[in-house]
Amino acid sequence: QSSDFLFKFLVIGNAGTGKSCLLHQFIEKKFKEDSNHTIGVEFGSKIINVGGKYVKLQIWDTAGQERFRSVTRSYYRGAAGALLVYDITSRETYNALTNWLTDARMLASQNIVIILCGNKKDLDADREVTFLEASRFAQENELMFLETSALTGENVEEAFVQCARKILNKIESGELDPERMGSGIQYGDAALRQLRSPRRAQAQSAQECGC
Amino acid sequence: RRLYPDMAFFQRPTDYPCLLILDPQNEFETLRKRVEQTTLKSQTVARNRSGVTNVSSPLKTTPNSLSEYEVLPNGCEAHWEVVERILFIYAKLNPGIAYVQGMNEIVGPLYYTFATDPNSEWKEHAEADTFFCFTNLMSEIRDNFIKSLDDSQCGITYKMEKVYSTLKEKDVELYLKLQEQNIKPQFFAFRWLTLLLSQEFLLPDVIRIWDSLFADDKRFDFLLLVCCAMLTLIRDQLLEGDFTLNMRLLQDYPISDVHLILKKAKELQDSK
Repeated sequence: QSSDFLFKFLVIGNAGTGKSCLLHQFIEKKFKEDSNHTIGVEFGSKIINVGGKYVKLQIWDTAGQERFRSVTRSYYRGAAGALLVYDITSRETYNALTNWLTDARMLASQNIVIILCGNKKDLDADREVTFLEASRFAQENELMFLETSALTGENVEEAFVQCARKILNKIESGELDPERMGSGIQYGDAALRQLRSPRRAQAQSAQECGC
Repeated sequence: RRLYPDMAFFQRPTDYPCLLILDPQNEFETLRKRVEQTTLKSQTVARNRSGVTNVSSPLKTTPNSLSEYEVLPNGCEAHWEVVERILFIYAKLNPGIAYVQGMNEIVGPLYYTFATDPNSEWKEHAEADTFFCFTNLMSEIRDNFIKSLDDSQCGITYKMEKVYSTLKEKDVELYLKLQEQNIKPQFFAFRWLTLLLSQEFLLPDVIRIWDSLFADDKRFDFLLLVCCAMLTLIRDQLLEGDFTLNMRLLQDYPISDVHLILKKAKELQDSK
């Protein structure tokens, strides 16, 4: 299937918040029962339709444990969007958000579009972080915000789609330039076919580099 | 994908439970109780082993929907509890490293080998033997688990680069292709090397690979060659694929015949 754009996405946040399960739910549409911890990085991709445009998401699911931080940093470069994940039943994972945010903005790009995901929404009885508190945090830090459940699938697709939509809007408004190096955005193969003209040759060679 | 085929093995009761701990007359607390009650770092051990979540607050009861991880009745303990104990004690004795995700993948094949030995005497002492071997193995590979060493000569970054520099010697066309696609060794070889390939193959195959690794004089140099062999064996696919396809191939390695891989690695070793 061909796509109009390709966005590089990151999934970041503390260990055990459900990052890999979110990715699995998004791609496979089911909950990963026997999820293993992530060592380094896992990789997934999916084409979604956002307002009539086909966007290929190239998703980098990173290891959350502190030990892996220096290695996972090498995955950030040129990411256009990120899911920043915490666990609503663990304040510790919420408290770590500022660090993750700093890393993302510093290492990926200042313009990276981030959606905050309060995962494990299904475990409401064990909740330690309220919706209100997290949405204030999101507002202060210019993040989008959703509470998600990788178990039930609630808001999982939405999180990815909302993030992609925001990036598309920014492209349309000219705030983001897909042709700028390191934007984390590339033209997809469909767009390239339409746009094939000498001026676009550069964009095409960027596509081939595949980053 | 990449789970032990014998995962169920780790949930079964052991043949030789540790009587000292399980004897109700005794005042020893079992680890399963302790990890629930304390705020020790080791808590992550418990949660990670069960593969569900690592919950940071000790007082919380996480509804454990996975019945296979249910704690066995008194007087029995599951194999995973033994493994957990080994990791717990290792973490306590080596506070500088403590527990890092992935160590369970290192201890797992060792314990499995001892605990399924046909000789019952070996089986009976599986826990102690595994601990001994695990400690020795870790003394050779622990640098992989230490973040501050990542960029040093003995750290994992250096080893990952070594995979590429070896590949460059053996198959420059493939090397250039991966470079061109900006596929860094960090994107796949980190897991390959840190876990000694234990997440890439099925358990019996992992044991077969480890046999060759441990038998080689330069064990972990041979590991680099095994990684190179894995790359060169799928070179045609890699040369044709785009970034996404290639990342998938490398993250979910397509060849399951480890003999083929070991043979190739040996060839690379001899072709020096």
